[in-house]
Amino acid sequence: MNEEMSTIKDMPTNDMFTSGHGACAGCGMAIAVKNIMRILGENTTVYVPASCLIVISAMYPTSNFRTPYLYTAFENTGAVISGMKAAQRRRGISSTVVGLAGDGGTFDIGLQALSGAAERNEDVLYVCLDNEGYMNTGIQRSGATPFGAWTTTSPVGKVVAGKREFKKDLMAIVAAHDPVYAASLSIAHFNDFVKKVEKAKNKKGFRFLHVMTPCVPGWRSDTSMTVEISRLAVETGMWTLYELEDGEARTTYRPRTMLPVTDYLKLQGRFRHMGNDDIAKLQEWLCRKWYLHYGSEVEQPVCAVFEKPRPMRQSEEDHLHFV
Amino acid sequence: MKVKVISADHAVAYGAKLARTEVVPAFPITPQTLIVEQLAEFINDGEMDADFITAESEHSAMSIGIGASAGGVRVFTATSSQGLALMHEMIYAVPQNRLPIVMVNVNRSLGAGAGIWVEYNDSMAERDSGWLQMYVEDNQEALDAILMAFRLAEDRRVMLPVMVCLDGFILSHTVEKVEIMEQEEVDRFLPKYEPLHKLDPAEPMLINPIVPPEYAMEMRYQLDRAVDHSRDVIKEVDAEFAKAFGRSYGGLIDTYQMEDAEFAMLTLGTATGLARGIVDELRKDGKKAGLIKLRFMRPFPFKELCQATKGLKALGVFDRSASFNGGGPVHTEVAAALCNVPVMVTGHIAGIGGRDVTPDHMRQMYDVVERASKGEKVRQVTWHGLRGKME
Amino acid sequence: MFEVRFHGRGGQGAVMAAQTLAEAAVIEGYHAHAFPFFGAERRGAPVMAFARIDDKKISIKSQVYEPDLLIVLDESLLDIEPVARGMKKDGKAVINTRKLPMELDLGIEVDCATVNATSIALEFLKAPIVNTAILGAVAKATGIVSMDSMNKAIRNRFGEKFGEAAANANIGAAAAAYEQTVIGRCKGKRPLKAKREWLPDWDQLPMGTALSEGSIDAVMVGPGGARQNLTGTWRVQTPRYDKEKCVRCLRCWFSCPEGCIKRDEDDHVHWDLNYCKGCGICAQVCPVKAIDMIKGGQK
Repeated sequence: MNEEMSTIKDMPTNDMFTSGHGACAGCGMAIAVKNIMRILGENTTVYVPASCLIVISAMYPTSNFRTPYLYTAFENTGAVISGMKAAQRRRGISSTVVGLAGDGGTFDIGLQALSGAAERNEDVLYVCLDNEGYMNTGIQRSGATPFGAWTTTSPVGKVVAGKREFKKDLMAIVAAHDPVYAASLSIAHFNDFVKKVEKAKNKKGFRFLHVMTPCVPGWRSDTSMTVEISRLAVETGMWTLYELEDGEARTTYRPRTMLPVTDYLKLQGRFRHMGNDDIAKLQEWLCRKWYLHYGSEVEQPVCAVFEKPRPMRQSEEDHLHFV
Repeated sequence: MKVKVISADHAVAYGAKLARTEVVPAFPITPQTLIVEQLAEFINDGEMDADFITAESEHSAMSIGIGASAGGVRVFTATSSQGLALMHEMIYAVPQNRLPIVMVNVNRSLGAGAGIWVEYNDSMAERDSGWLQMYVEDNQEALDAILMAFRLAEDRRVMLPVMVCLDGFILSHTVEKVEIMEQEEVDRFLPKYEPLHKLDPAEPMLINPIVPPEYAMEMRYQLDRAVDHSRDVIKEVDAEFAKAFGRSYGGLIDTYQMEDAEFAMLTLGTATGLARGIVDELRKDGKKAGLIKLRFMRPFPFKELCQATKGLKALGVFDRSASFNGGGPVHTEVAAALCNVPVMVTGHIAGIGGRDVTPDHMRQMYDVVERASKGEKVRQVTWHGLRGKME
Repeated sequence: MFEVRFHGRGGQGAVMAAQTLAEAAVIEGYHAHAFPFFGAERRGAPVMAFARIDDKKISIKSQVYEPDLLIVLDESLLDIEPVARGMKKDGKAVINTRKLPMELDLGIEVDCATVNATSIALEFLKAPIVNTAILGAVAKATGIVSMDSMNKAIRNRFGEKFGEAAANANIGAAAAAYEQTVIGRCKGKRPLKAKREWLPDWDQLPMGTALSEGSIDAVMVGPGGARQNLTGTWRVQTPRYDKEKCVRCLRCWFSCPEGCIKRDEDDHVHWDLNYCKGCGICAQVCPVKAIDMIKGGQK
């Protein structure tokens, strides 16, 4: 291979995930998959469990993936990619075997198979495309749905409005398996995205990428705001860009200052019903997370930090994403 | 050739080794554990070149198997009961994708308060999945069945998974004499696997996308035909096996003393050996008793049964599971197969939940069938060994 | 029995329209049912829904192949599929368009009503959800249900789900459409040809579910074959690029969900509008406003 990719400009132009897929206009998952497949390149073998992704890109007799492709079920990504890799090893084929699963297929129903593959340190890349709900089945709540969000199974009722629980810390679960590499990605932090996918591609052993993929109908957002919402997620602390490598966790980008979470919420209809109490509760949770991730308190007026757990090590690298 | 005194579980492991299985996804469940333990030993001792992948569940074991088989390698796995039930979703993904996986199911009771003992309600629940399903009678047949199963599964006219079912504990943990064939002999019988599928970026294949209604029906019919075509291949494989190793098990069914029989039992699994002994007893008394051994539950031997029951007056069907609908699954299917044949069919449920099936039970079964053959009115379905009077 | 077929795009509310029509018919004292084509459709993808109305209980549950009433919620569908296929000769069509009936060609000459439901929906609902507006046109064009029953049905279905204000807005949209609907007759010159499909007999189908890349009967199959789906027809706004302003940052190229922005040698970009769905992300991420979105799905 050539030099490692580290910016958008280094990315190949060859699309292994073709145009002509059936995703909604403005789909964040399509952005993530297209770019991941560009970076992984043609020597890649894809597994997709039940999700929007299979529906929009693999309906007999065609697919949008120009690579080998397999689907079987919802909860078994970690397992099937293990078998695929074993077969390729025995057939003398060396390719990046990647599982592209949703948050339901990773946080919830697929957690066990994910754990199995991570624990066996299978030489595979597992990508969780996180749109924070079961969007394929019509926007139901998952373990990845954030606090307060409306979904069809956390409806805005007269007594209870939106999800009452906070988002599951999936990366902490993955980290407990001591993977070779794990990282969280944002489609709005372009060069960071490229670097992390490239790193994951080139390592041997179990690798995990967690990408936030805004969903226009599920988040009730404007089609044009998908990338902007991802950017604001990081700036407000709803999403942190970090990586785990050689047992060390470090943030790869730190916002200059923490924006109030309302900047993020107001772009999405799924949060429209949230009252001040719920917003304050979410903000408080974010402030704790912010401290945990970035290791310093946030300037008033956004936060007052309540606990001070051991923070992650900070990146010495340039924090600025592509400008 | 070596002779060993081993359990059916170990015999099966020798079978998987001799078949040069390449990937073994494994998750332990009693009474299947001896199989995967033995395979792990073979591999860790360097006697077998395979990837042993310890799944975190049976669902994942079959998922790993599918990933590997779609990638073009020979896959063997084994399970039992609850494990098979947990696999259920993935079981259905295998036949339509035409992946020739071979799996042993060590039969064990499934259900609330499930015991660890033999019953066929685990594998019977999978009979409409598109897997070929065979039942074996002893440890030698267990080993031989693995080799025949791979040959059958990988035949281009078939390309279907095969489930080899054997009785929990009664076979899985009983040691008896088993002949272990030489690798070279087996290699001649079972050539290197030439896969239909592969996951190779050099020649990308799209496998198992969502299939809309415009295609699903044709695919299902294709699968139905493939299962049907396997009937001839099963007979061929048995003949080839006999030529190579000198043992023949018949085709979809095997028969014993059926030429002039007036009444007979149809059995599967270890009950067959028991029934053979009772037929001998009855024949000594001058009674024209016979026996049909059901080797394959899928494909079901509709034609063969009509053929084998010509001249027969009554046939009793042994079931080691109940459909909770008045009879057992084998009985229901045999009755359907013989609905245009003038033979009285009775159902006989025994050995439920691992209860021992004794010679007396089998004698009672033959007694009912004999009386039916003489025109006497008998129960349609009898539970043998049940305490209390049947309703 | 009166059979209705709706053609729309995911997100326009075709299913809700069918259900509301059925409910209005029930309010009138008829028997009725409504159901979608159960696909795994996404926003913007062509969808169908069906409704039947009769004096007696309706026992058939098949799809509608010979509609008495054809309702098209998105005019652009006329160019990509033969929406009028199977239509009865004395059937009626209701089309969301700014054109007059005589300006339309459905491939079969029938009574036709047109209404600009999109502009009405944008006015009353602030979103291009045209289902209730089109129902106003249906009431006017067919008389199968009265406007009064239609309003009650809209109140029942939309009020329960989205509240009183939403129900009123939708009733307003339906009333405006009722007023603005133009009734006439459309042309029938366009050939009603189904799109090219590969539908082999069972014994011609490759074994299993696997396909390699290639084409069969001039239809692409296998890996990458889905690029024959020209999703650009979904577009209702189109990017406009000012190459002079472009700083070649490639943010738009990275951010396009469709992969329809192509990167030139010098890192300028161009669009393959065959696939552009008009989401507007490219314009939003551009740091120098070299891209803006203009209304319409033009090339």
